[in-house]
Amino acid sequence: MRMTSLRWFVQGAFLLLFLFLFLQTESKGEDTLGYPVRFFLDFDPLVFLSTLLSARVLVPGFLLSLLLVVLTIFLGRVFCGWVCPLGTIHNLTGILNRRKRPVLLPGARRWKYLVLLFLLSSSLFTAQVTGFLDPLCLLIRSLTLFLYPLFQNGLEAVFRAAAEAPVSFLAAPAEAFYTLFQRFLFAFREPHFYQAVFTGLFFGLIVGLNLLERRFWCKYLCPLGALLGLLSRKAVLKRSVGEGCTDCGRCQKACQGAAIGGDPRETIPSECLVCFDCDDLCPVGAVRFGFRGGEKGQALHLGRRAVLLSLFSGALTVPFLRVSPQSRSGLFPGKLIRPPGALDEKDFLAHCVRCGECMKVCLTNGLQPTFLEAGLEGLWTPVLVPSVGYCEYRCTLCGQVCPTGAIRPLKREDRKHVKIGTAFIDPGRCLPYAFGIPCLVCEEVCPTEVKSIWFETVRVIGREGREEPVKRPHVDPALCVGCGICEHYCPVRGEPAIRVVSTGESRSKENRLLL
Amino acid sequence: MDRRSFIRKMIIAAAAVSCPAAFSPLAASRAAPAPAPDLAVARGPSPERIVASAIDALGGMKRFVSPGDIVVVKPNMGWDRAPEFGANTHPAVVAALVGLAVEAGAKRVKVFDHTVNDPRRCYRQSGVAAAAEAAGAEVSFVDKRKFKSVRLDGEVLKEWPLYEDILEADKIINVPVAKTHGLSTLTLALKNWMGVMGGGRWRIHQRIHESLVDVARKVKPTLTVLDAVRILTANGPQGGRLEDVKVLDTVIAGTDQVAVDSYGATLFGLRGRDLGYVRIGHETGLGNMNLESLDIRKITL
Repeated sequence: MRMTSLRWFVQGAFLLLFLFLFLQTESKGEDTLGYPVRFFLDFDPLVFLSTLLSARVLVPGFLLSLLLVVLTIFLGRVFCGWVCPLGTIHNLTGILNRRKRPVLLPGARRWKYLVLLFLLSSSLFTAQVTGFLDPLCLLIRSLTLFLYPLFQNGLEAVFRAAAEAPVSFLAAPAEAFYTLFQRFLFAFREPHFYQAVFTGLFFGLIVGLNLLERRFWCKYLCPLGALLGLLSRKAVLKRSVGEGCTDCGRCQKACQGAAIGGDPRETIPSECLVCFDCDDLCPVGAVRFGFRGGEKGQALHLGRRAVLLSLFSGALTVPFLRVSPQSRSGLFPGKLIRPPGALDEKDFLAHCVRCGECMKVCLTNGLQPTFLEAGLEGLWTPVLVPSVGYCEYRCTLCGQVCPTGAIRPLKREDRKHVKIGTAFIDPGRCLPYAFGIPCLVCEEVCPTEVKSIWFETVRVIGREGREEPVKRPHVDPALCVGCGICEHYCPVRGEPAIRVVSTGESRSKENRLLL
Repeated sequence: MDRRSFIRKMIIAAAAVSCPAAFSPLAASRAAPAPAPDLAVARGPSPERIVASAIDALGGMKRFVSPGDIVVVKPNMGWDRAPEFGANTHPAVVAALVGLAVEAGAKRVKVFDHTVNDPRRCYRQSGVAAAAEAAGAEVSFVDKRKFKSVRLDGEVLKEWPLYEDILEADKIINVPVAKTHGLSTLTLALKNWMGVMGGGRWRIHQRIHESLVDVARKVKPTLTVLDAVRILTANGPQGGRLEDVKVLDTVIAGTDQVAVDSYGATLFGLRGRDLGYVRIGHETGLGNMNLESLDIRKITL
């Protein structure tokens, strides 16, 4: 078998595995998930390194990421060429690009190292911005927030249209397909996300670059590719070109990385994705991949000025991100309700890589990406929006899938003591208060063992002068955990009559409410 | 011995114990069997057995389910709680009813609930889905598309979306659990119909008693079995503390949902008339809440 065929097969298998794990990032009703859904992120050394710098912690999966480091040191960027699901998507999109020649000068390949330095410099100064550009975080986030909802909502609309079509023969197959999709491919609950369009545009832009040049992202921008490139400079698995080379230049055009310079006999190991395309393409069979050690790695010339610029701008980004008042201690936007187990805000932002796994796994779709609620620094981090979905009292899945520990994995017993906010009743809108109409839905759905919402029976005098007993709800702030189920089910829509804000959240020392 | 044959044997055993008169030569010579009581209240340590004997006392499942019927067994499994907390119908009670319905020749037995907490967690954590499935039921999650607006012409609700499977079932068996409830004091059989309602169902809290009677009048269950194996005496309907749970090892079965609820009230030291929906159900002819006028057969196993 040709190596490229084998590579396509392996790439396909890893992409399918990735998508399978993505689909598995969903509850079946058990307390835990059956599969290690953050598997790919656990192998990501960039997540490991940037979190080490920004939060000064070892992420839970760091040993696995070291495995990838060791693999790369020996075999080069095989991850990029054979494994990375975003890389495979680039490969597939690149097929649409008929232009064979690179459009950028070879020097553009150093951009990605500058991107990497920028990100790591920000991390060093405690801002975790790596997640915006880390390929795995980017892919999982784009899938979660944009592609998957688009897929499901789009197909559901098609099935609905077919079922309601004026011709009847469409209804039965539509239903059959719907059932099939519902069972194997759709999310249990139709996902909807704020920021879907913006994350989608970002993803579209990055994938669209393939039309300009195949694997544009991998060659010129990817910070993980850069990190793996740095590690693979002395890889023992190497491309070499034998005597027969006729200088035809096919390998230069086909190279998936930017590894072949002016002389087709030369290879830049840090840019080689070990894809074997050049090997298979070579008309005279002069290209070989083999294990050879001992050679001196090529020096990486990034340019001193460019390096300094990257480092400085990375560092300067940190105060820039924090110039808004949200980051000032003690100013907490009430709507910024973080998931249970989330670290204190400063720490949380230093950990969170915005991969979106917590939002994917959230039972109720209540975890949504922020826009500017947490400042620019907090863009696309998870926030609970109770009107969309509440926090299920006994669920701990978001902490289980978080790759960095930004959301701590909670034991079921500990979960009960984590308060993410407090509910407040708006008497001007609450039916029993405002109109003397019975309701008490909030009390019914309140999940704490001793209900955090209690009621008093008061006698109200109606318009006709008749006295009627009515039960008025009260929140016990000592018991309320801020799950937001009361707000979610409050029959007063638009602006619910009971609303949860982050006040009293147990992760914060400053946002406490009670003595 | 599998569950089915166990249930069959228990029915025979229960019949033998509970109606010894049937075995007297005099009774055997009479053509008509003794009339079934209005309510059967069975108490004993095994949920399966008390269900079987209560149904048997009412004349057996064949009285309610005919061969080929599509049957809905509607439990309350609206909450993400384990069985021991009494927030959801006991899985063994649901399974026993499913088993009896299958035994009586039902073509399909459907089990579902429009839950309050996440359906996946409710179905799994309540233990009901697994037990019902093992007993032969088709357990499915509520499909939003299947709520169909129907005319109720009730006191309060003129029209409301109800679940298609309930509307289309040949026979409906309501199997609620007895619990406290802040607004309506107790949630028993009538309150369980909130689990077949779609739309903005929380709005019915504004006139909950009338609304529940309006829905119950439309649904018309063939049989109601109130699960009081464990009752939740405080912090209902969701609970979560074992100290709020009282073990009564009892089920109450009958064809009159108002009568069942009226009896259910007594488990909490109340009378039927203390519950608005029971009183209204009685006054509007949905059922009879006067326990004194009912034939109640008590069985202890």
